[in-house]
Amino acid sequence: MSLKRTVVVATVVLAALSACSDRSWRGKDISSLMPALEFELTSETGEAVTEQVFAGRPVAIYFGFTHCPDICPTTLAKLVAAVRQLPEPLARRMQLAFVSVDPDRDTPRRLADYTAAFSDRMLGLSGTQRQLRSLTRRYRITYGYEDAREDGSYDVSHSSAILVFGAGGEARLMLLDSLSVAEIAADLERLLSEAAENANRP
Amino acid sequence: MKLASAIVLVLVLVLGAVWWVSNRAPVEPLEVDHARLRLVPGGAPMAGYFELRNHLDVPVRLVAARSSAFGQVMIHRTVVERGSARMEHQSGGVLVAPGETVRFEPGGLHLMLMRPLQVLEVGDSVEVVLVLEGAEPAERSVRFTVIPVTSS
Repeated sequence: MSLKRTVVVATVVLAALSACSDRSWRGKDISSLMPALEFELTSETGEAVTEQVFAGRPVAIYFGFTHCPDICPTTLAKLVAAVRQLPEPLARRMQLAFVSVDPDRDTPRRLADYTAAFSDRMLGLSGTQRQLRSLTRRYRITYGYEDAREDGSYDVSHSSAILVFGAGGEARLMLLDSLSVAEIAADLERLLSEAAENANRP
Repeated sequence: MKLASAIVLVLVLVLGAVWWVSNRAPVEPLEVDHARLRLVPGGAPMAGYFELRNHLDVPVRLVAARSSAFGQVMIHRTVVERGSARMEHQSGGVLVAPGETVRFEPGGLHLMLMRPLQVLEVGDSVEVVLVLEGAEPAERSVRFTVIPVTSS
């Protein structure tokens, strides 16, 4: 094999390899690991809702509580910034949801104020302990309550990842809190463009 | 004559150097930078972030913080273990070794400012007193700027 040919082959192989790595997700692909979205919760408007509330749109869900000063606003702000980076009309399809695992303090009204501070496309949800346990168990995540302080306030431990579901409610991605805004945006853009391509197919 | 001008020149240079050195702002032995407080709606606890640089040759420990704008301030660290996030109260305070910088930043160390006693808006500034062991004076008042919930 001539040197020139070797170089050409090597270049092609490298290009193919880099194209492959570009196709990998930054988050964790959970398509074959987790069941489709299904829940019964109460929305920030006070209504009882199911997964149908997302009306066939892809949704990114984060589990937390509004009395969480650090990690919850940090993660939600990252998610909102990532969606803001998406090109239209893709961005418009994306729905965001915040599920509070602290229903005692997070009333629908409180959730509505909280989610509005982040994005008008973020829906606040919560429910009874039975409803919340059933949803979190379904995705093998946990939450728990720490001992109360003297003033009665308490902290809640919760999942640090964002779960992303496709337009049909199918589980797609788990985005860890260590991902950057650009990495989250790259994954969401890929997911939304794939969905758009499939929708255009006859 | 030549000697006289040389002496004058040297004198001018020395006096100039003395003037320059005496007018330079002295480096603060404990520097607090980028102090900000992230606004969370509805009276929920907020996080305070900053950088603390220790220029002293002794260790300094941040043992507590308080603010007249909040009912209580605690020193916390967010810990993420096996996909689960929780907050850890730093009951022993936070040590800053000589020459070191400790960063209070999103997803890590932060002040948890609880029960706001006044309505805050983005752009306001809030005074927070840091209580330090190993530094003189032991209390340091710092102005934190209120930033939007979507920023860090």
